[in-house]
Amino acid sequence: MNAHQSVSIVMIEDDEGHARLIEKNIRRAGIMNEIRHFTDGTTALDYIFNDAGGPQRNGPALVLLDLNLPDMSGTDILQKIKSSDGPVKRTPVVVLTTTDDSREIQRCYDLGANVYITKPVNYENFAQAIRQLGLFLSVIQVPDLEER
Amino acid sequence: MAPAAPSLLAIRDGAIGRRLTVFMALGFLALIGAGIAAAWVTSENQRHTRWVAHTYQVENSILNSRRLLEQGETARRGFLLAPGDRRFLDAYYTIADDLDPQLRRLERLTSDNPVQARLFARLYQRVSALAERRSRTVDLIDAGRIDQAVAAFRADSEAGRMREIRGIFDAMSQEERRLLDLRDAELNASEQWFYIVLGIAALLLAAVAAIAWVTISTYTRDLSHSRDQLSQLNESLEEIVADRTSDLTRANDEIQRFAYIVSHDLRSPLVNVMGFTAELEAASERLGGLIDRAAGEAPGLVTEEERLAAREDLPEAIGFIRTSTQKMDRLINAILQLSRQGRRVLAPEPIDLAQLVDNLRNTLSHRLDEAEAVLEAEGTLPSIVTDRFSIDQIVSNLVDNAIKYLKPGVPGRIVVRGWQTGTRVTIEVADNGRGIAPSDHQRVFDLFRRSGPQDRPGEGIGLATVRALVFRLGGTIEVASTLGEGATFRLNLPATLDMQDRTE
Repeated sequence: MNAHQSVSIVMIEDDEGHARLIEKNIRRAGIMNEIRHFTDGTTALDYIFNDAGGPQRNGPALVLLDLNLPDMSGTDILQKIKSSDGPVKRTPVVVLTTTDDSREIQRCYDLGANVYITKPVNYENFAQAIRQLGLFLSVIQVPDLEER
Repeated sequence: MAPAAPSLLAIRDGAIGRRLTVFMALGFLALIGAGIAAAWVTSENQRHTRWVAHTYQVENSILNSRRLLEQGETARRGFLLAPGDRRFLDAYYTIADDLDPQLRRLERLTSDNPVQARLFARLYQRVSALAERRSRTVDLIDAGRIDQAVAAFRADSEAGRMREIRGIFDAMSQEERRLLDLRDAELNASEQWFYIVLGIAALLLAAVAAIAWVTISTYTRDLSHSRDQLSQLNESLEEIVADRTSDLTRANDEIQRFAYIVSHDLRSPLVNVMGFTAELEAASERLGGLIDRAAGEAPGLVTEEERLAAREDLPEAIGFIRTSTQKMDRLINAILQLSRQGRRVLAPEPIDLAQLVDNLRNTLSHRLDEAEAVLEAEGTLPSIVTDRFSIDQIVSNLVDNAIKYLKPGVPGRIVVRGWQTGTRVTIEVADNGRGIAPSDHQRVFDLFRRSGPQDRPGEGIGLATVRALVFRLGGTIEVASTLGEGATFRLNLPATLDMQDRTE
């Protein structure tokens, strides 16, 4: 990912604190990519599909998705991304949420989630998990959205 | 429906019973009356028959006497006409001999009636007088003094003695007839009375029968009516039970969902609190280092207060926040776990309890050794068909608790035993540990509640989980214990967990 500096991270997380902690720990893992943070589904979807700087129109991206959002369920966003026609559907989606219900996890993978991570409540574990996610992000290849 | 039930079902048993008793009594009285009347009429009849016979006897006696008297007269006349013929004389004497007994009989028969007695007295007097004259006439004839005898006979005839005697006889007969008529009338009257009594009794019986029939049919109608109501109530009761059950199931689901959502949503802010506490800790560590350096390099710059704030107050505050949030995390996890267990689908299968205890002994061997305790199964454990995960959790939680709260200095002995009673299985987990005060026997099963000295780690979750699991398996749990003398947890579970009964 470091090779493609243009890969931006779209973080959809309604809890400001969680978002801050996630960002901090990703940065600590050495990921310096741009992180766009959205606290609700509507603006996030608008950015992904319509914004000039969004993944649909401009370059590859990676989505960090919380399932508990105020205006819609994270699975709705996941479904919209994975069932879209454009390049966005190849965008990797990492579901990062407190929900550890097995049915929910299954559903997310069925809908095309690439990774499902449960936020550990214990902060040390949480920080560690996020840092490992950062390390993971640093090695995974994101499809170049320009190549249609 | 329900409030109307008591009045509908209140059949007037007492009133019905009393009424029926009264009717029965009346009916019997009527029957007894009819019986008495019949007996009375029969006795009257007998009496009358006796009197009729008596009348005929009297009449017979009168006729006999009269006949003998007439025959005596005829014999006298015959002898008078043919004085030489001794046959007349013999016949006369025979008749005269017969007459007296006959008259005595008549006297006897009529002695009860003063009128007849008087008539008889007159008759007897006349007859005696006549007999005397006849005897004299006959004696005169016998002596050959025919003329004198004829004169005496003529005098007798002229005096009309025979006529008078015949008249008395007629009077006596009439008197007897009159009495017979009187008795006939009496009999008729008594028969009439009998029919009247019989009629009244029949009417009374008919009335009693009618009223009893009405009463019984009313009672029967009431009964069948209340039976219908009862069956209706029964049906609606089943509906009500089904309704309540589904209500309860819904409420239970709601609680489960609520617990799940609440505990879940509580986790989010807790992540922040813990996360930023960690950040704070890291930051305060760095700040502490700065203070230390500053104190070392420029002692006048840092006051003792500032040093204490950075080095002691901040870490202390952070420490309390940490332990509190950790505890809260454990509590939330406990609720989450309970709610998750409530949502778990149960899968009944045959369980070998002895095997289960063996496994548990292996799993807990380290802790058992540490506590110098033994875990053993006593006797043959019953077979049970239930959810493996749940029963495993229940028994291991109980044994775990027993190990946790052993009496210091006493070698622990934890016994699992069980038996089957009908369709239920009882399992006991008994220990010789510190025991539970009776006042806490209910409390220990509540979530986050603990008993006795709080010298062991724990949140008061184990027994709450156990109770929730036992309830889900359709069972009950109770504890018998005296403080200081160990505790016995007794489970009562269905021998076979029937999933159809569990509407969850």
